Amino acid sequence: MAEYKNILTVSGLKAYYKLDHFGITREVRAVDDITLSIRENEIYGIAGESSSGKTTLIKVLAAAIRPPLRIVEGSMTYRFGDKVIDPYKAGKDEVDAIRWKNLSYVMQGSMSVLNPVRRIRKSFEDFAFRPMGLPTREFWGRVETHLKRLNLSPDTLNSYPHELSGGMRQRMTIALATVCQPQFIIADEPTTALDVVVQKDVLVMLRDVQKQMGSSVVFVTHDMSVHANMADRIGIMYAGRLVEEGPTRTLFTAPKHPYTAHLVASLPRIGDRSPKAALEGRPPNLSDPPPGCRFHPRCPLAIDKCKVSVPPLEIVGESHRSACWRSDDVRPLTRFEGVREETL
Amino acid sequence: MRDYLTFVLKRLVQLAAVVFAGISAAFFITHMSPISPVEMIVGRVAAQASFSPQALQDLREALTELFAADLPLHIKYLNFWARFVVGDLGPSLIAFPTPAMQLVMRALPWTVGLLAVAIVMSWTIGNLLGGLAGYYQNNRFLKAFGVVAMGIQPIPYYIVAFLLVLIFGYFWPVLPISGGFAMNVRPGFTMEYILSILHHSILPAASLVIVGLGISFLGMRALVSNIVTEDYVTYAELAGVKSERVVFFYVIRNAAVPQLTGLAMALGGIFSGTIITEQVFGYPGLGTLLVTAVNGGDTTLVLAVSSMAVVAVASAIFVIDLLHPLLDPRVRVK
Repeated sequence: MAEYKNILTVSGLKAYYKLDHFGITREVRAVDDITLSIRENEIYGIAGESSSGKTTLIKVLAAAIRPPLRIVEGSMTYRFGDKVIDPYKAGKDEVDAIRWKNLSYVMQGSMSVLNPVRRIRKSFEDFAFRPMGLPTREFWGRVETHLKRLNLSPDTLNSYPHELSGGMRQRMTIALATVCQPQFIIADEPTTALDVVVQKDVLVMLRDVQKQMGSSVVFVTHDMSVHANMADRIGIMYAGRLVEEGPTRTLFTAPKHPYTAHLVASLPRIGDRSPKAALEGRPPNLSDPPPGCRFHPRCPLAIDKCKVSVPPLEIVGESHRSACWRSDDVRPLTRFEGVREETL
Repeated sequence: MRDYLTFVLKRLVQLAAVVFAGISAAFFITHMSPISPVEMIVGRVAAQASFSPQALQDLREALTELFAADLPLHIKYLNFWARFVVGDLGPSLIAFPTPAMQLVMRALPWTVGLLAVAIVMSWTIGNLLGGLAGYYQNNRFLKAFGVVAMGIQPIPYYIVAFLLVLIFGYFWPVLPISGGFAMNVRPGFTMEYILSILHHSILPAASLVIVGLGISFLGMRALVSNIVTEDYVTYAELAGVKSERVVFFYVIRNAAVPQLTGLAMALGGIFSGTIITEQVFGYPGLGTLLVTAVNGGDTTLVLAVSSMAVVAVASAIFVIDLLHPLLDPRVRVK
């Protein structure tokens, strides 16, 4: 197997929402025992339906958790060059020192992440000036070069956020998140609430930035077609667990987990007239998940073993892992031609 | 810039309309009151010595003619506006023949000075502390301050004023509790006079500031506890932006906009609060003048004071309105 340099290593990570209402304690296991690593210079997509823990996982990765969300177990280590840091063990100053310089974040709902009473120029200054550590003139030179490279006009800096369209604001936010050329970019639903044309522009921009800078990008979306076009590798989440992970092509053509197989089969394609079947049932309640494999109540392949014991995430191929007792019996439900071949 | 000028013009028209309506209301209320200034003076004269009924009747007729008290209401109203535009509101009846406007002008600087200082101080300090308290929720000092503010805020101005008089005038007599300046100081542009004014204004200003501070503190703290959950604040924190920068430019800056509107809305109430406060401290401002005028049945002076109050409060709100688009770029001036 090929050797890869990992920039982020997560092992056995558990993050629960601990809710305490009038003495009744509830634990929502939104991220449960996740082990994964992100390589240098790759785009890693996290997929899954709503409430599968995608956004929680990404908040945990970005070290952006707030009570009631808490890390219960596990470790998470970033490696930026020679600097090795676990944000949950390091002090606040150390973590602040890597933010934006090494690790930046595009938040969900990027429409409202810019201060409405501050010109965008000021936001750039607030966010990027300190991490870049350049004299004022060179700093603005760098910002303007960066914007031009992303086909954005430096004049936009003088606007207030409400003067820009949604797509423009999203592009400025991505520009803001990438201006310091961080090695690691986390993007939570970067294209939600944008129309498809603008979506495409934003995605192309994000990918171009990643290519130019050679950074790693982790992004979340429930839109599988975005994953198909963007990601080098995809991790599929179900009920707070990573159920399958592998190169994009492999996941679409030869999934090794029944959930992935159904997820992929739900994608409509041009010329495909077959009816789309939905899986019975709903995703489980994360405060009281089913025992064993969390997918077993809905799984057509489930056997008795699935009801009692949790399948581990095991290697099933080149860079391909699946958490299923019957991964050998999973067959793709549809055939995908030309995934990743067409460009955006 | 052009848009802004149109906006200013529009607000000016509004200001004129508000002033007109307010003063008209004051006119009708004072003129329809059952207290007749003529009878008040006749009564006062008759009480001092014995006069023949004929002499009293002559006096009554002379005064009626002098005050034009027998004209119909609408004529009086038109006359009033005709004189108002040239700044003449007629002679005061209790300090006859001093023009009422002259009395008002003598009292106005005291009230405006006291109010302006008290409002600016309580608004800025209250909002700053409130903003910090909302953001740094675990700070002990700010928490304690919140408890105190919560306790003081519902107490009316005048109760606080009485408490201050009691504490600093009786139990621990260190501050002057009455008047605008010391009796033995000659008014003029001297250091002694100015210091005396400042010294005398401490207690009345403090009574206004203490209550006003609590109101803006609590309002700001509540606003900030909402704003800290806004995406732009979370995002700035995540980006490692220094917390002083976040609290001032992201949190307080955004909360200041509704707080400014709140101030404009509260101005009228604060003004009526001062009337009583001035009375408590014997402060030579509009409030004291108004109470004297009402007690003396001096309708002209009451009307002059209320007109000035309407103009002053409406103008202050006008100025705040003009600041609004400068503070919040999303306010459309068109």
